[in-house]
Amino acid sequence: MSQSQAAPLTAPRDVVVVGATSAVAQAAIRHWAHQRARLVLVGRNRDALERVAADARLRGAASVDTQVGDLADTAFIETVCAIASPTIALIAHGSLSDSARSEASAQYLEYELTLNFVSAAQWVQQLALACERAGGGTVVAISSVAGDRGRGSNHVYGAAKAGLSAFCSGLRARMATRGVHIMTVLPGFIDSPMTAHIANKGALWTTPETIAQGIIRAITRQRDVVYLPGFWRLIMLIIKHVPERIFKRLKF
Amino acid sequence: MNPLSLDQPWGRGYRPTHTHAFADGSQLPSTPFLPRGLGRSYGDVCLNDGGTLLHNFRRDRLLAFDHARGVLRCESGATLADIAQTLLPRGWFLPVVPGTRFVTVGGALANDVHGKNHHVAGSFGRFVESLSLMRSDVSSSLTLSGDDTLYSATIGGLGLTGLILEASLRLKAVPGPGIEQEVRLFGGERGAGGIADYLALDAESKTWEYTVGWIDTLDRNLRGVFFRGRHCEGPDEWLVPQPTRLMLPIDAPQWVLGRCSARAFNALYYRLHSIKTAQRSVIPIWPFFFPLDAVNGWNRAYGRRGFIQYQFVVPTVGARETIPRILAHLREAGVASYLAVIKTFGDLPSPGWLSFPMAGTTVALDVPAPGSDDRRALDEADAMVADAGGRVYPAKDARMSPAMFRRFFPRWHELEAARDPLISSSFWRRVTGDLKA
Repeated sequence: MSQSQAAPLTAPRDVVVVGATSAVAQAAIRHWAHQRARLVLVGRNRDALERVAADARLRGAASVDTQVGDLADTAFIETVCAIASPTIALIAHGSLSDSARSEASAQYLEYELTLNFVSAAQWVQQLALACERAGGGTVVAISSVAGDRGRGSNHVYGAAKAGLSAFCSGLRARMATRGVHIMTVLPGFIDSPMTAHIANKGALWTTPETIAQGIIRAITRQRDVVYLPGFWRLIMLIIKHVPERIFKRLKF
Repeated sequence: MNPLSLDQPWGRGYRPTHTHAFADGSQLPSTPFLPRGLGRSYGDVCLNDGGTLLHNFRRDRLLAFDHARGVLRCESGATLADIAQTLLPRGWFLPVVPGTRFVTVGGALANDVHGKNHHVAGSFGRFVESLSLMRSDVSSSLTLSGDDTLYSATIGGLGLTGLILEASLRLKAVPGPGIEQEVRLFGGERGAGGIADYLALDAESKTWEYTVGWIDTLDRNLRGVFFRGRHCEGPDEWLVPQPTRLMLPIDAPQWVLGRCSARAFNALYYRLHSIKTAQRSVIPIWPFFFPLDAVNGWNRAYGRRGFIQYQFVVPTVGARETIPRILAHLREAGVASYLAVIKTFGDLPSPGWLSFPMAGTTVALDVPAPGSDDRRALDEADAMVADAGGRVYPAKDARMSPAMFRRFFPRWHELEAARDPLISSSFWRRVTGDLKA
C-alpha cells in the first residue's frame, strides 16, 4: 500500500526542538514527525528524550537525533547549535518557578531566572544564527502570558518570561532583514505535567495538543506574537491596563 | 488524547471525590490509588471514590515496531486510535478492537476487551506478548509474559495488580483500510423467531472475520440487523478517519429517554436497514468498528443522570432458550433499551483469571438512568444468567451484587491475593467488601 500523506511543499525539512519532553513540544513533534521532518531533539532527561524520539521515528520522522545535556550550559548550547541547520526551531523548556521558595533561597531564584530567561535567550539567539546560516527559517520561543505583567503569585516566572518576550521582540527586529523570523508564543494556562499540582482547572485551561496546533498554524502564517488560545490577548489587554495601585492588592 | 472527564466513568451519573495524580512511569503515589486510562468503562471499575486516581493517558508513546513480526511496544497510555492511525498506512491493524478506539492499551488489557472477531481471534489479552508492571510493594518494575502468574492476574485484572507501564502487542496485517460488509435482517415478520434466525445467520457466517448483530429488545419477536465483514483494500483517503466534527455539547433533557422514544428509535433503525439492506458494500474501516466515535461525547445523549450498560454472556448450550427468556423478562419489567448488541463468542480461552468472554452468546444493552424497578429487574436477570452458567461484564457494570460477582468470577479471591496492596477501586470494594470479612 502506498503512503497516503505525501509531505506538502511547505513541510519543514529540519526541525530543532529544545525541551523536547515538554507536553507542548511532544505534541508539536508528532505533527512534524507525521510530515516526515528530520528532527533534532534536545533535552535533559535521557530516558524521557529517547521515548519521545522513538515515538517520533514510529510516526514517520525521516530521522531523529537526540542531544542530552544541561539546557542552561552555554558550552552545550553552542555545541548543539554549531552543528544544527534548522528551518524551524522550537524553544519549549521551562520551569514553573515557586514564588515562595524564591523568597527563601537566593540560589533557587537565580537558577529559575537562568533557566527560564538566560538559557532560553541563549537558545533563541544561537538557533536564530543557525537558521540564518542554513538559509533562513523560523525560531519559535514559548514565552507566557505571565510575562505580560508580574503577579504576586508568580513573580519570578513572570519576570523571566517578560525578559524572554522582550528579547524576542528585539531579536525579531535584528533578524527581520536576514531571512529569519522570530515568533513569540504566549500560552495561557496549559493542563500539562508542569501544572499537574493545580487541582481545580476551570474553563481557561487548554490542552498541550491545542497549543501545539496553534503554534503550527502560527508558523504557516508567520505571526510575530501569538496568544494561545487567542482570547488571552483580550484578557491580558485588560490585565495590563489595571492601575498598579489596584493591581498590587489583587490576590492572583 | 485527553479524557472527557477525569472523575466520571462513561456511563456518568456518579458523584465521586477523587484526588488526581498523573503517572510519570518512575514513581507511584504513596496513598491508595487506582490506575486509570481514558475512563471509557461504563461504571465504577474506573472510579476510586475517596482515593486517588492515577491518570495514565499522558504516557502514550509508541516505542518500537518490529515489521517482520508485527509486534508493537508502547507505553500503556497509548490509545488504540493512535496505534491504528499510525500503522494502518503500513498495512497493520489492531488484532482486537472494542466499540470505541478511544481507549488506552492499559485499559483494554485490564478489562481484557473483545470485539466483533471474538469467534476467530479471542480477546485482546491473547495478543499481549509481554507487559511491564510497577507495583507499590516491589522496588523495580516487573516484566511479565504468558507463563507468569501475575500476567494472568493482570489481564482482565481491572487495574488492581499494579500500574501497567508498557505492553508488546501482536498486530495483524491487513490488505487495506476497507471493510467488505454484508447486512442481513433477522426476526421481524418473515422469520421463525429472532434468536433462531440470528443464530442461524451467525452459524453460516463463521468464515467471516467480523460478525455482530443489533437486536430490538422491545420487540416480542426480537427482530434485528446482522452485520458481517472482512478486511479488504480501500482508497488511501480511508487511511485516516473522518475528524469527529459532531459533538454533543450539552446534556439531553430526561424526557428524550423514555420508553416511547426507545421504541420509536429502534423501529426507525430497523426500517432504515430494511431499505438499504444492500447485499454487499465496501466501507472504510472506521465507521464499521467505531460508528459512535463519530459523535464526540455521545454519552451525554443520556442526560445528566447518565445510563448503565448491562452486558451478559450465556454458554452456547441453552443460549437459544436463555437469551429470549432474559430479554422477555427485562421487556416485561419495562427496562427500555436502545440498540442492544448481540454477538456470539468463540471458544478460544481468555488468558485472564477474570476475563469476561467465554464460549457462548453475549448481549449488551443500555439502560438510561435506571430506577429501583430497573435495578430489581436487572438483579433478577443476573440470577438467570448465573443459573445458565454465564456471567456479567465488570467493565460495564455499576450494580451487580457481591454474591452474583462471586458466582460469575469464582477466581476473584486469587485476584484479591495478587492485588497491589495500595490499589483498589470503587467497583472492587463494592463487590468484595462484605465477602472478605
